[in-house]
Amino acid sequence: MKMKPAAKIYTALVFLFLFAPILILLVFSFNSAKSLSVFSEFSLHWYKELFRDAETLRALENTLILAVCASIISTVMGTAAAVGINRLRKRYLKAALDTVTNIPMMNPDIITGISLMLMFVFVGQLFGLATSLSFWTMLIAHITFCLPYVILQVLPKLQQMDPSLPEAAMDLGCTPVRAFFRVEIPEILPGVITGMLMAFTLSLDDFVISYFTQGNGFQTLPIRIYNMTKKTVTPKMYALATIIFFAILALLLMTNIVDEDDSRRIREARAAKRSKKQARKPRRAQDPNARGMKIVAGLMGAVVLLIAVIAIAGSHPPPRVLNVYNWGEYISDGADDTLDTIKAFEEWYEETYGQPVKVNYDTYASNEDMYAKLKSGAVSYDVVVPSDYMIARMLEEDMLLPLNFENIPNYEYIDESFRGLYYDPDDLYSVPYTYGIVGIIYDANQVDPADVGSWDLMWNEKYAGNILQFNNPRDAFGTAMYRANADVNTSDHAVWDAALSDLVAQHGLVKSYVMDEIYNMMESGEAAISAYYAGDYFIMLDAESENVDLQFYYPEPTNFFVDAMCIPKGCQDQELAEIFINYMLSEEPAVANAEYIYYASPNRIVYENEDYIEELGEDAMEILYPDIGDFSELYNKYAYRSLPQEMLDYMNELWETLKIN
Amino acid sequence: MDKNKKIIELKNISKSYDGNKVLDDIHLYIYGNEFLTLLGPSGCGKTTTLRIIGGFETPDTGDVMFLGDRINDVPAHKRNVNTVFQRYALFPHLNVFDNVAFPLREKKVPRGEIEEKVTEMLRLVKLTGFEKRNVTRLSGGQQQRVAIARALVSHPQVLLLDEPLGALDLKLRKDMQQELKNIQKATGITFVFVTHDQEEALSMSDTIVVMSEGRIQQIGTPTDIYNEPKNAFVADFIGESNIVDGIMREDFRVTFSGHTFECVDKGFGKNEAVDVVVRPEDVDIVPREKGMLQGTVTSVTFMGVHYEIIVDINGFKWMIQTTDYCAEGSEIGLFIEPDAIHIMKKSEYSGMFGDYSSFSMELDELSDAESEEDE
Repeated sequence: MKMKPAAKIYTALVFLFLFAPILILLVFSFNSAKSLSVFSEFSLHWYKELFRDAETLRALENTLILAVCASIISTVMGTAAAVGINRLRKRYLKAALDTVTNIPMMNPDIITGISLMLMFVFVGQLFGLATSLSFWTMLIAHITFCLPYVILQVLPKLQQMDPSLPEAAMDLGCTPVRAFFRVEIPEILPGVITGMLMAFTLSLDDFVISYFTQGNGFQTLPIRIYNMTKKTVTPKMYALATIIFFAILALLLMTNIVDEDDSRRIREARAAKRSKKQARKPRRAQDPNARGMKIVAGLMGAVVLLIAVIAIAGSHPPPRVLNVYNWGEYISDGADDTLDTIKAFEEWYEETYGQPVKVNYDTYASNEDMYAKLKSGAVSYDVVVPSDYMIARMLEEDMLLPLNFENIPNYEYIDESFRGLYYDPDDLYSVPYTYGIVGIIYDANQVDPADVGSWDLMWNEKYAGNILQFNNPRDAFGTAMYRANADVNTSDHAVWDAALSDLVAQHGLVKSYVMDEIYNMMESGEAAISAYYAGDYFIMLDAESENVDLQFYYPEPTNFFVDAMCIPKGCQDQELAEIFINYMLSEEPAVANAEYIYYASPNRIVYENEDYIEELGEDAMEILYPDIGDFSELYNKYAYRSLPQEMLDYMNELWETLKIN
Repeated sequence: MDKNKKIIELKNISKSYDGNKVLDDIHLYIYGNEFLTLLGPSGCGKTTTLRIIGGFETPDTGDVMFLGDRINDVPAHKRNVNTVFQRYALFPHLNVFDNVAFPLREKKVPRGEIEEKVTEMLRLVKLTGFEKRNVTRLSGGQQQRVAIARALVSHPQVLLLDEPLGALDLKLRKDMQQELKNIQKATGITFVFVTHDQEEALSMSDTIVVMSEGRIQQIGTPTDIYNEPKNAFVADFIGESNIVDGIMREDFRVTFSGHTFECVDKGFGKNEAVDVVVRPEDVDIVPREKGMLQGTVTSVTFMGVHYEIIVDINGFKWMIQTTDYCAEGSEIGLFIEPDAIHIMKKSEYSGMFGDYSSFSMELDELSDAESEEDE
């Protein structure tokens, strides 16, 4: 068929639209640098990195185990269900069942996810379980949403099948069960295989439902990637995504081959019927079912292997278990020859106490995610790392346990100036992990050194169109209020109104309102000025383009944050949790984590450690640990606190006005 | 197998689906080495009868006997009865050889013996050399043969055939009819054959069972059924018939269409109302004045071997098959020999059949096609 030029262009555009994102991902997975804007040179660096990232590989393994188990079980159950539905004599009953099985497919994932979680929590509490979510709940959830797709694939095959086939088999001496396996199964096999492959891919990339039904210590790949968004998604994820893309592509091709054989067979059967008198010339073709069988055999083999691995892993005596819930990318994880903190802790524990310990380490992307998960009661964790305002809120809601500091002797390394912080004034519930101070990042190649030093830089008309502002109200209003030396936690509407007019005045100067895009825009020199945390400045510095010279300073006053380790109520082993917190404060892991995370540490043995100082360099040390006197005094005075709901509403209202302008 | 031995007996068989009576008190004997045909229009219950013998349906009441044993509760796979299904039901994932070998493998017959028996069977159905073929790539007739070979290879005592020729075109159907008959003779296996095609039934069967509305109308040899139909339904269903109301004056004398005829039937009451059957080929056309009956030709159709003529006699349309051409509109006389007249007792079917006033060949074919589709 010939295509008109317009049709050709249209087709090309459609394909471009469909595949451009994947193409970009693919290209940048081979980029030697971290930047998304500049392709420096071809390299397999990120692929190597990927295979050194133990946690990601573990998540990948989890995802595969889950997908294989879910697809096999849902295929068996779905096939059985389809056979049952097909045998119903009453048509209306058939139609009704068909519809009912399709509902989960139409249902938004989020509803399926939440309702499954609620059910698991409900059942769990009925049986008095501390944690109702586990690998098994996740598996049940995946089976649930895969099932309709399997039925959808198998049922039409059954309906196409001549209903007298099983009767013929019985007539020729098969018992009904044997007839099913010898005649019906081979007939519907293409549908079964397609259904299984669909279930497999669906399970593989599911995020929403997994997110709600995930249990302790069993993190899948999509969740892990999502949780990395606290920091940037590292390019090794591009590498992983590329690998997955090609794996799925291969699976799809296999499915099509099976289907192609099947439809060719049907076509030829029809043709043969039409030309009754003469048989068609025999054509040598591989028996289509042989190929299908091979695929099934392969999958089965993979499952048996996996189950064996799980069985061997599970045959050790059940060790003491610690469930840790931390931000994504917020611990040294062994990448780039760094310390694998979790593994190190497990080894250290076994050496010290002579018994094994198993750490289930899960991650989250925001305080609110963590809070919601704990609040649901579906999981219990022993150690969490919330930010300051969230600690205040959790204390208000009685969600944290007081710590027994006898088990945390290393707490003495936490500098005195980090004691008595507003959210935990008596230092009973939390141990500071990291802290950060908001500063202003600028490109020295574009900004005159005479203009830097205060918040005014973000309002400097010389740099109109080169300034980035936060795309969230709290931080954006913060910049204006610090500039005006106002109290950022005030309930005085007038102060907020004034901040709004400042933001309105700034509006014309702002290039755009951004969050994560800030990294790329600053690294590439697209923008010259933005406010962000010092730790993030170093990440940008690492990836800055050649013609960009990023610099950093603290305006006064400014915002601070502290993330601290806490033990939530529902903790299963408080002593172990405290031993872990204590370990995290000891020299080797504390230094490794600080080097990895790039945020400042409140731990004296970190910032006084010679290797650490050498590793960071003098300039970085100065930026990360500025001489600001007593941290707690400034912090308690200037840091954001939880605003009352009334003020949050008012702030959001003002923010809307600004955005409308 | 002994010709006079009853292999299968159906006693008082009734069956209903959702309140619809499909079989109503069926009694039937099937003898050894017999070619028995269940004949009737679609929905008459013939396929259900077959499925009850095969073990795919259980009767609501009555007994199914196999060589004197009650087998109502014996499942299909334990009955020594095999079926050739309407659409053959070949296993698409197996080739010709494996399809035919299927029942032998189920019975764990040794390998060598399987090879031998399958080869022998394929020779019988003339498919030698087709062993490795994919069954979906065979023609309808070849698929048919594979189905027969597969059903016969384990030597069942009875072979059930459910309209096996329905999907074949006319020429092939004729060939297969002959071949089936030969196979039956060669193997000596009892065949129970279901069809709605009366010609097929007449040419192949030893015994025909005519069914309608779940009941058996008549059992007999093809000649009995054709020459001595028991009621208007059978007379109409088997071949073409002119069925008119008559009155039996006395033995060997019957009045119909305003004329009293000599006939060969007796044993009716004096002046009893009866149905009179005259086959279209048994009527001779004579000049008007020489005819026993007179009428006007309303239509003439050339059929190849003969003409089919519709004659209006006092408002009743007769069909006559003749080799003599008569022009449409011409006035003719009809002559009927005594032995061409068949007298039947009145039945519930009286008056429903045998008038060709609404006859149309197209309609006839249409209804044939319909009955092929269902069941």
